[in-house]
Amino acid sequence: MKIIVAIKQVPERDAQVRIDASGKWIEESGVQFALNESDAYALEEALQLKEKHGGEVVVLTAGPERVGPTIREALAKGADRAIHIDCADLGSRDALGVAKLLAAAVKPENPDLVLTGLQSDDLGLGQTGVILAELLGLPHSSLILHVEKTDTGLTVKRELEEGWFRTIELPLPAVLTIQSGGNKLRYATLMGIKRAKTKEVRTVTAAELAVNSAPVAVLERVALPQKQKSTQILPGNPKEAAAALVEKLKFEARVL
Amino acid sequence: MSGIWVVVEERDGRVSRISWEAVSAGQKLAALTGLAANAVVIGAQTEALATEVAAKALGKAVRIVHPLLAAYTADGFTLALQQFIESEKPDYVVFPHTYQVRDYAPKLAARLGQVLIGDVTGFGEGPVFVRQLMQGRLNGSYRHSGNGPCFVSVQAGAFRADEVQVGSAAISAFTPTIEQAQIRTKPSERFRGAAQTVDLGSAQLIVGVGRGIKDPANIPIAQELATALGAELGASRPICDNGWLPMERQIGSSGQTISPKLYLAVGISGAIQHLVGIKGSQCVVAINKDPDAPIFEVADYGIVGDLMEVVPALTEALKAAKQ
Amino acid sequence: MLALTATLAEPQHFSLAEKLLLAALVAASAAGFWRRFGVVLGKILKSKKDPGFHLFPIGKRVWDFVCEVLFQTKVIRQRPLPGLAHAFVFWGFCAFALVTLNHFAIGLGLGFLDPAGFFGRFYTYFAAVFALACAAGIFGLFVRRFLVRPVWLGKKLSWESGFIAFLIFLLMVTYLASFFVADSDPATRVLWWVHSLAILIFLVIIPHTKHLHLILSPATVFLSRGGFSQIPPLVGDEDFGLIAGTDLTRLASLQAYSCVECGRCTEHCPAANTGKSLNPKEIILGLRSYLNDLGPTSDEPLLGKYNAQEAAFQCTTCGACEFQCPVGIEHVPIIVGLRRGAVNTGAWEDEYGSKLFLALERGANAHGLPASERDKFIEKQGLPIFDGTQEYCLWLGCMGGYDPKGREIIADFARVMNYLGTSFGVLRKEKCCGDPVRRLGNDLVFQQLAESNLEVFEQNKAKKIVSICPHCVRTIQEDWKEFGAPPQVEHHSEFLARFANKLPKQANGETIVFHDPCYLGRYRNVYEQPRTVVGLAGELVEAPRNHERSFCCGAGGGLVFLGEETGDRVSKVRAAELVAAGATTVGTACPFCNSMFRDALAEKGECAPQLLDIAQLTARGLPTRGTS
Repeated sequence: MKIIVAIKQVPERDAQVRIDASGKWIEESGVQFALNESDAYALEEALQLKEKHGGEVVVLTAGPERVGPTIREALAKGADRAIHIDCADLGSRDALGVAKLLAAAVKPENPDLVLTGLQSDDLGLGQTGVILAELLGLPHSSLILHVEKTDTGLTVKRELEEGWFRTIELPLPAVLTIQSGGNKLRYATLMGIKRAKTKEVRTVTAAELAVNSAPVAVLERVALPQKQKSTQILPGNPKEAAAALVEKLKFEARVL
Repeated sequence: MSGIWVVVEERDGRVSRISWEAVSAGQKLAALTGLAANAVVIGAQTEALATEVAAKALGKAVRIVHPLLAAYTADGFTLALQQFIESEKPDYVVFPHTYQVRDYAPKLAARLGQVLIGDVTGFGEGPVFVRQLMQGRLNGSYRHSGNGPCFVSVQAGAFRADEVQVGSAAISAFTPTIEQAQIRTKPSERFRGAAQTVDLGSAQLIVGVGRGIKDPANIPIAQELATALGAELGASRPICDNGWLPMERQIGSSGQTISPKLYLAVGISGAIQHLVGIKGSQCVVAINKDPDAPIFEVADYGIVGDLMEVVPALTEALKAAKQ
Repeated sequence: MLALTATLAEPQHFSLAEKLLLAALVAASAAGFWRRFGVVLGKILKSKKDPGFHLFPIGKRVWDFVCEVLFQTKVIRQRPLPGLAHAFVFWGFCAFALVTLNHFAIGLGLGFLDPAGFFGRFYTYFAAVFALACAAGIFGLFVRRFLVRPVWLGKKLSWESGFIAFLIFLLMVTYLASFFVADSDPATRVLWWVHSLAILIFLVIIPHTKHLHLILSPATVFLSRGGFSQIPPLVGDEDFGLIAGTDLTRLASLQAYSCVECGRCTEHCPAANTGKSLNPKEIILGLRSYLNDLGPTSDEPLLGKYNAQEAAFQCTTCGACEFQCPVGIEHVPIIVGLRRGAVNTGAWEDEYGSKLFLALERGANAHGLPASERDKFIEKQGLPIFDGTQEYCLWLGCMGGYDPKGREIIADFARVMNYLGTSFGVLRKEKCCGDPVRRLGNDLVFQQLAESNLEVFEQNKAKKIVSICPHCVRTIQEDWKEFGAPPQVEHHSEFLARFANKLPKQANGETIVFHDPCYLGRYRNVYEQPRTVVGLAGELVEAPRNHERSFCCGAGGGLVFLGEETGDRVSKVRAAELVAAGATTVGTACPFCNSMFRDALAEKGECAPQLLDIAQLTARGLPTRGTS
């Protein structure tokens, strides 16, 4: 099975959020970057499928030079080779634009399966994989926790709201977006990192892929939310405090 | 172009609450833009849903009818809505941001050369749509550029279902052309996870009990709260060590790591082993009689008081809210 | 009276046949000896060289040799009665050197000691005293092993040990008996031949049994790695730790063959004492069996048939085993080496372990908490930021920065430093020192953490570090050396003890039982400084097992970050022991010990002793309660 895993390097989860000079994104200097969390699960799923059925796992990522360590981490965990779309202006493309770049790199590879993480830790759009399926003309399913190869294609377990699940059958080739938590992630090992040194990383520039992308959904500006995370102690006697809490949970936190 | 179309989903044979929130958003967007708000119902049970929708202040309520749409598939819904949109030419298409919508709306948008602005928490003049970035630590303002419909989905709870204005809408039907061969995925019936073992790791609502409960005889008070909330019951390590609750309910670094939408820490002081286990929680509520308990540092909401009084009061308040 | 006038009888006139027979037997015995010893020596020499091994400075090696081998200090101090008995046996062997040489010389007609002459008489009597002591010693040891049967010697009775004990006893008896016969007595010849045969048989047996330690252990003690629990560096791109026989080094092989199966390591092991499958003696004997069966050039995994992975990961790295070993075996580097082999190749699949590694791969601390939590604490507590102008850099560590109790300890220590007028600051950004991943054998993450932290220290020009955590102190001072030059770091007990005369003495009638942290006591040899500090706050009470015998709290070796233990909780066992000391307060000097005892002590309810770190004990005696 030839599996392509599209991964993204994102700011670390507890990176300090400061707005940059343009007001359109966060200040990246001083920010540490890491592999997007659900992409790590997508990679894990791909590696487990390869261990079971043989084949090749190729990681694909678009981004500037700093994505190098993330590519090496993926190779260290067991991917066979990598394709790096060298692109310094990823932020100025919308989800369709990014998916077009990825599709252009995926098409000549003719994979059996394309996996992406469910959504990115920075933008959180959750659309790239689904759009990629459309651009490649392939069937897809999203929020996948478990993948099994069958004679006719794949059987996957999809997560639904409120603790429900659904099994879906689909033919290969296909695209899946993988939800976090379906597998136990493997940690990077010294052996993996040493072996990764000899694995191929092919770089192709965004220009070479000749993809046009005037964004349709434009991120005009970013702002810090008004309410910073701080503890709200609800006053009053037990009955009053309880009522206030229920109100907050329903309409402020929106978890009920 | 024909205004705003809200895509309505069903749940247990009726319009789902989050769909009503989308309708409310659609009506507000209509007020902002001066366009007409309409609704389209797709899937199974479209007659019943259309009737419900038609009792609201909307222009039209359209049922998309096709046997191949009875069970949701991304291919089916995309084809149907694509044809509908191509015929109706809406300015805006508004969705509730459900798992189902996330599975097909980006595909639909891409097919029409558009991009979904998803999980929107509000909008303003422009219109400019606001959504959360960096896991809620940043807000981004999006604008739609170019021609063609603007696709938007709204976050659960961002708009209020009880603010939907009533009225009456005209019901009509739309039949798309879909071949069986175009449906490439085969969904099965939905099912629940393995029910027998306690799986706090995937529970969305959890009540945690700590040493503040003082006596095992008091645990039912916490259990009632959990039941009223529809939550699982967990505990900090000392409770499990004492055998007041089974070990599989232990939350902490050597027990289960949880990541629910809501975690209620009852009588838990907040030792680091426990904090590590709960750090994935979206919203933490702490109830403790010690105002200096470390748990308050990580809680979003807190009540300082005797849990023997606060917890029953909270249980009552929750039961009242459910009605 | 006979005893004082008796001389050692020597048989006279060995015939040519007898001399030839003796020569043949000696040759056969030597051949039998070499046949096995040569193989063992070969296996040790065929093992790969130890990277980072330095013979010099040689002073400590010589000192350890003199103390531990010649004077048997560790053997006696840690197990007094059996130790003394063994010492007599050993000293007996040493004293007998000339006797034995002369004995065989006689057989070839070349005797050089005249038992009637001044020196001969003195020496044979001298040896006789030792023979008595040796006989008594070996008899006592025999009784201990076969009748008393202490659990640490193992369940199986060792017949080879019994036989050797018999041989030694026989040697002493035949020697002593020779004082009571005359040269011309036929019995003298019989005694002589029995004695000779006993020695020749003994010689052959030595390399086939644990008595190999007679030859190897002096070398093993002399050739230690050069530091307590010293973890060797990995070399090259293919070295991942102890995976197969080819990874065993000469020191590891030498140590495996030196084991005398005394069980002192197991006796003091917290895992073995709480029902875990880990048994340090069995780990070493497992290596020995591997070497015997497969040798140091085999690719067969070390963890599998000969040692279990599960056992290797139950070790808290407390070092009690290594500390107790009388023959110089260094268990901790071996166990960590086995862990490295499993972790660096991804063969270790553990849910909690993976979580720990993933947390440290991405983030700053071992808990997986956001670094902003530490920032919040620094701000709330008003701790000054280190800017190169202050004297000390206060290292918070994962517990001091994130654990509520650890933070209290930091806050109190900061108060004390302010009281003493010592300038200090905390680093803006700290990453975990890497102790848990170092002990669990994840060299990838450890290297990343060590290098990152070293760079921060360099950039901030931090020259003197003080820390409340012995694990951080050890890791920074010793383990980071592999990747750079760490600044000087000390534990807060060493700091506080230095200022003891400036700190107030509290008169409150309290008794405080002090628990020696493994990484401060055995690892760093710091025992008295924390006691000085405790003495200022109340009356010091010793725990039943104290100083170098302190029983681990159970957190070390990365285990505090792993899942629930099997068997009894180590922390519970130690907490019960501390409570039994009857003091009002339990004093700790390590935030992990503090954390481990917290729940165990709280279980005792109202009559539980207080649990306070030495910083907290000191701070409560300060005159004014101001903000830090």
